[in-house]
Amino acid sequence: MNHAAFSPARVWTLAAATVTQLVRMKILVFLLLFCAVVVAAGFAFPVLNPEHQLKLLKDVSFGALQIFSLVIGIVATALLLPRDLEDRTLYTILSKPVPRHEYLLGKLLGVLALIGAGLLVMDAAFSLVLWLREKLLLAQILAGLKAQTPEAVAQVQELVGKQGLTWNLHLGVLAVFLKAAVVTALALMVSCFASSTLFTVVVTFCIVIIGHGQGLLREYFLQGKMEPFVEKGLSALLAVLTPDLGVFDVIDNVVNGQVVGPGSAGYMTGIALTYITGYMVVSHLLFVEKEL
Amino acid sequence: MSDPQPITPAVSVENLTKVFRGALGRKPFVAVRDVSLTVREGEVYGLIGPNGCGKSTTMKTVLGLLAPTRGRTFVFGRSSTEVASRQAVGFLPENPYFYKHLNGLETLLFYGRLCGLGGAELRDRAREMLALTGLEDAADRRVAGYSKGMLQRLGLAQALLHRPRLVVLDEPTAGVDPAGSRKIRDLILGFRGQGITVLVTSHLLEQMQEVCDRVGIMAHGRMMREGRVDELIAVENQTELVLEDATPELLAEIRALVERQGGARLVRTGQPRTTLEKLFLEATEETN
Amino acid sequence: MKRPLQALLVLLLLGTLKLPLEQAATAHLRAEKLLTPRVDLGLRENLGQMGFAASLGGLRSLVASITYLRACGAWENVRWGAVDSLFQLTTRLQPRYTHYWDEAAWHMAWNASSHYLNNEKLNPALREKLSYEHVLRGRDILLEGLRMIPDDARLWHTLAELYERRDIQPAKAAECYLKVGELTGNLRFRRLAGYQYAKAADRALQLKGYELLMESYRANQRPPSLINTIKDLELALSIPAMLRIPEARVAPGAVR
Repeated sequence: MNHAAFSPARVWTLAAATVTQLVRMKILVFLLLFCAVVVAAGFAFPVLNPEHQLKLLKDVSFGALQIFSLVIGIVATALLLPRDLEDRTLYTILSKPVPRHEYLLGKLLGVLALIGAGLLVMDAAFSLVLWLREKLLLAQILAGLKAQTPEAVAQVQELVGKQGLTWNLHLGVLAVFLKAAVVTALALMVSCFASSTLFTVVVTFCIVIIGHGQGLLREYFLQGKMEPFVEKGLSALLAVLTPDLGVFDVIDNVVNGQVVGPGSAGYMTGIALTYITGYMVVSHLLFVEKEL
Repeated sequence: MSDPQPITPAVSVENLTKVFRGALGRKPFVAVRDVSLTVREGEVYGLIGPNGCGKSTTMKTVLGLLAPTRGRTFVFGRSSTEVASRQAVGFLPENPYFYKHLNGLETLLFYGRLCGLGGAELRDRAREMLALTGLEDAADRRVAGYSKGMLQRLGLAQALLHRPRLVVLDEPTAGVDPAGSRKIRDLILGFRGQGITVLVTSHLLEQMQEVCDRVGIMAHGRMMREGRVDELIAVENQTELVLEDATPELLAEIRALVERQGGARLVRTGQPRTTLEKLFLEATEETN
Repeated sequence: MKRPLQALLVLLLLGTLKLPLEQAATAHLRAEKLLTPRVDLGLRENLGQMGFAASLGGLRSLVASITYLRACGAWENVRWGAVDSLFQLTTRLQPRYTHYWDEAAWHMAWNASSHYLNNEKLNPALREKLSYEHVLRGRDILLEGLRMIPDDARLWHTLAELYERRDIQPAKAAECYLKVGELTGNLRFRRLAGYQYAKAADRALQLKGYELLMESYRANQRPPSLINTIKDLELALSIPAMLRIPEARVAPGAVR
């Protein structure tokens, strides 16, 4: 029996076990909660103007999508590796012919699959509510319109449609996913040298916060706006060590109708892949000779 | 053992030294110092010693879970640092834990797939292992609800699933009741019958004495003694004689005979004691 | 010991190499208007810590929605100070969303301003003063919004109405209407600008107004107020009789 240095089947087995584990941890409850929030946001603010109602629905939904994906990315990942170590499940897995990089890759893909599937479900639920709300609003406004001239109807449709369901919104969801994927890889890397789940969660959360302000630090540093040496050195170090998570924060403007072009989607995907690959290489280096 | 000596040993440990780096401000800890041992294919090798003597560290190094500080370890001629060296190895850790969210069958399927098994073959094999370890009825229950003994048996099933040529057992009888530990003893003897090599650690010497072909005794990270069990424990200038239903007259005659001969000396007579373990087993087996 | 060192090295290398990539991506996304310019640093004092973290993250629009709803609550309770500061937060969080600027200005220049003007508990001088101050506050909000989104017709339109009805500065109102016309290409706004210039005291501006109104007239868009205003301007500017429009003045209340 020859031993393959890399086996997609083994990675898949590990990823599937990870998904099962997380699913059986009752993560689906979060999805139900999300759907409840979206429906509530869709129908709970009747006083606002119609166009703004749709925007609010999108804001709340995207906010929930972000929270879901980041929380799962950090917490689920932080739970996995340290727990396998604490429970010594890792002994039985790694005493099988499983290369350590496959174990890491399996964990990453498992969490990403879960986040991806969760986002898809949430996206579908949210799209449905938004679409229903849009149709309902349109009917309401048109019924309230005194003179239904073709121009007036077209104008209302355009106004409401701009805030309604578009394909572009799904690209916003893609941006949310990419950010969560980067954060997941980051959490996996941290958990490779962390000693506990709590440590991983806290450290990753801190990096995520800094990562959202990294662009600011980077720009200040690159434009030479900082004078004192310590300040300059510190901001350079932080800019180098943390990812720019702000790059993925396009949803504010996507919600307002800005279109995500192929170039933008390409940039975001490229940056996400760069980070993930880098973090996985570092994770591997930290994990390959880790004493168990 | 009448088997011809194989060329590549099942396990060989060459001058292994393992030093754990101390955490900040603490001294490094030497767990294993210059240990060498060889396990021949087909034999049962016991690594014995008190807790903390370095036997688990040695075992983990053999399995590639730890990297040696100095020295090398091999499994069937392949360095432990190679993933492929673990292909023919089944490992039962001390107090094994599994993913709590999987049931017994799923656990075996999971480990089977990691070993490259799959399909109907894996399913059959997993069922077979569950039957062998007496977990058939618990196959659909989540592992979270298993007792310690059941976890141990599942651990064994998992270790044997892919028909390994070498089985590594870390304290297999720790926390197991005597009946269970007797079963494990029988199982180990069964492995020997099938030609499977066994490397087992324990701090319970009596059990090891019964099953092992050879043992290594470790203390303070060093190998103190190594060799065949009967050779190690035999007191060479003494002979034991156990009689049943001997009359006092016969015993007196034997004593007189020994004195008349000269040279030899009677050290003691008395009634041999059964071990508490044997007594317990006899008592519990009677009630069953 | 060697591996962690290698790991750190890779991390630093990756960190250095990614910087230009991040710069390029940010520039591209800003150009596509997918990323918003940085939040003012002064905002840090206003938001609580969690809010600050979220405002940097992708939760900005969610937080903005919450502050917006709180602003609406403050409005229902007639707490104008709170309305103003909450809208300030909301607009800073989502500076590219027209509606927030528009509504913030409307609350100040219309609602709050009228509220103080009609508040009989205050002495008349104070009422006038407070009322006018809120009109100016509304104007400032709109000007700030237009710095963020300079080509937004709706904000220019609101500003024009503010100059027309609240601040009473016809010339400025006219300029704003012209801007709306320019952005939408709709002749009606050039006409509205014309009406405003017609009200100005300056003769040059009145002339400009006359030209704008005549544009509509020639385009055959001739509502009664247009006819009347042109007639007024013909008199005021002493337009020669041969250039005057033939229509008669329309009686007030006549149907268009």
